[in-house]
Amino acid sequence: MTWDWGYAWETLPQLLDGLGVTVLATLAGTAIALVLGLIFTVLRRSSSRWIAIPTEILVEFIRSTPLLVQLFVLFFVLPQAGIELSAFMTGVIGLGLHYATYTSEVYRSGIEGVPAGQWEAAKALNLPARRVWTSVILPQAVPPSIPALGNYAIAMFKETPQLTVITVMELLSVARQLGAENYRYLEPVTIIGVLFLALSLPTAWLVRRMERRLVPAPRPV
Amino acid sequence: MCAAHVSRRNFLMGTAAGALGMAVSSCSTVDLTAQEAGGDLLSRIRDRGEVNIGIANEAPYGFVDRAGRITGEAPELARIVFQRLGVERMNPRITDFGALIPALQVGVFDVIAAGMFVTPARCEQILFSDPEYQAPESLMVPKGNPKGIRTLDDIVARKDIRVGLLTGSANISYATDLGLMDRAVIFDSVFSGLDGILANRADAFSLTAISLRDALSKRPDAPLELTPTYVPVIGGKRKLGCGAFGFRRDQRIFRDAFNVELNLMRANGELLSTVRPFGFTESEMTTLTATELCTDTSS
Repeated sequence: MTWDWGYAWETLPQLLDGLGVTVLATLAGTAIALVLGLIFTVLRRSSSRWIAIPTEILVEFIRSTPLLVQLFVLFFVLPQAGIELSAFMTGVIGLGLHYATYTSEVYRSGIEGVPAGQWEAAKALNLPARRVWTSVILPQAVPPSIPALGNYAIAMFKETPQLTVITVMELLSVARQLGAENYRYLEPVTIIGVLFLALSLPTAWLVRRMERRLVPAPRPV
Repeated sequence: MCAAHVSRRNFLMGTAAGALGMAVSSCSTVDLTAQEAGGDLLSRIRDRGEVNIGIANEAPYGFVDRAGRITGEAPELARIVFQRLGVERMNPRITDFGALIPALQVGVFDVIAAGMFVTPARCEQILFSDPEYQAPESLMVPKGNPKGIRTLDDIVARKDIRVGLLTGSANISYATDLGLMDRAVIFDSVFSGLDGILANRADAFSLTAISLRDALSKRPDAPLELTPTYVPVIGGKRKLGCGAFGFRRDQRIFRDAFNVELNLMRANGELLSTVRPFGFTESEMTTLTATELCTDTSS
């Protein structure tokens, strides 16, 4: 099989459309995962068992089942329960929800990394719970978590092809469609590989850079 | 020697894709005389008492059923035709759809029985019998057809309708030509299309009536129905695929004998009664000929 530049060139505009969908889905999915993950973490640490335990079960349930299965359920079952979201919205929520369970773990380790003395000091000052979180714990817990969060954003980016099963025309769907139409998969599939690489590498570099700036060197006590 | 039978050596060379050209070219001088004579494969099959048929294992065209029996519209028709030609045994050879033509050419089997569409490009490679079926289109819609859709043209006029399409199907190019792609929902299998209609992901699923009927027969409880069949006209051209049996180019006598029996079955209604269990109906019956389809550039 030989590489056909003419065909590769011809498919590029459609593949770039697909890339737009992929990037948008990743950005929106990451935003959901970052916010929802933090909410999960705080709820899991709630002093009320009625909140902590159900949250824990929900997180473990989502984390332990495949994204593909979750997408299928959201796409085909939710509408039958009267909840109708577009395919794209369904995909974004699926990605965000799935990755929120991972980011929740990241936040948890960040919070556990905050010295116990900080909690005690906040308590000694009689700060309300909301201020303990917003002013004392999270400002110390979140920055060290950012590199790991960035890695999950990259992982999510590479998992967006799963949205093809729920009819979202992201990169892989477009490439498969072009291949089936023209009986040639080599060019579109190679191009999407290059496009994924072209976006993943700078993002990984950015994450590493942030890691160096945000994680403070250990200070002498 | 080459035309008389395909030797094991040539067979192995032929299956190695790179050597395909060599296997064919080494036979070319003999093939030409054989082509003038019309070939002797039919008499050799009669002597052997068995014929090898190539199928792609695709329901409902040619497939192996749960009992391990080779069946489908094309093998069942072939079984009857070959019995009448004096050949009792039929051996299936399963291969990828895309490999059917090359495998036929190097003699892995004697005839393609896979409901292959006759196209001018394929006619340059192989001979076709007259088609045993045509494949008009239909739409799968919720029971009662609440939106009153009958054809792709109806969908063009109604901007609120989302049309479901199967990835890689000819319908994608129809929808592209009709400017429907911004309202298209691309499903990756026939059954996800069916579930998509049930989940209100699309208002209609457009495909050949044969494929839709086959899918619906496997989900008889689904509250869905099919619209009456029609032939789409895209850019002034009728789009109608027709499936037929394929033969080696140098075996005209074999093809002609097969055609005679097949056309007798068409005339007395036996063809329809044989393929009906596989979801084919009157609307799939055709009187088009291989000659017309090989020269026709409209589909």
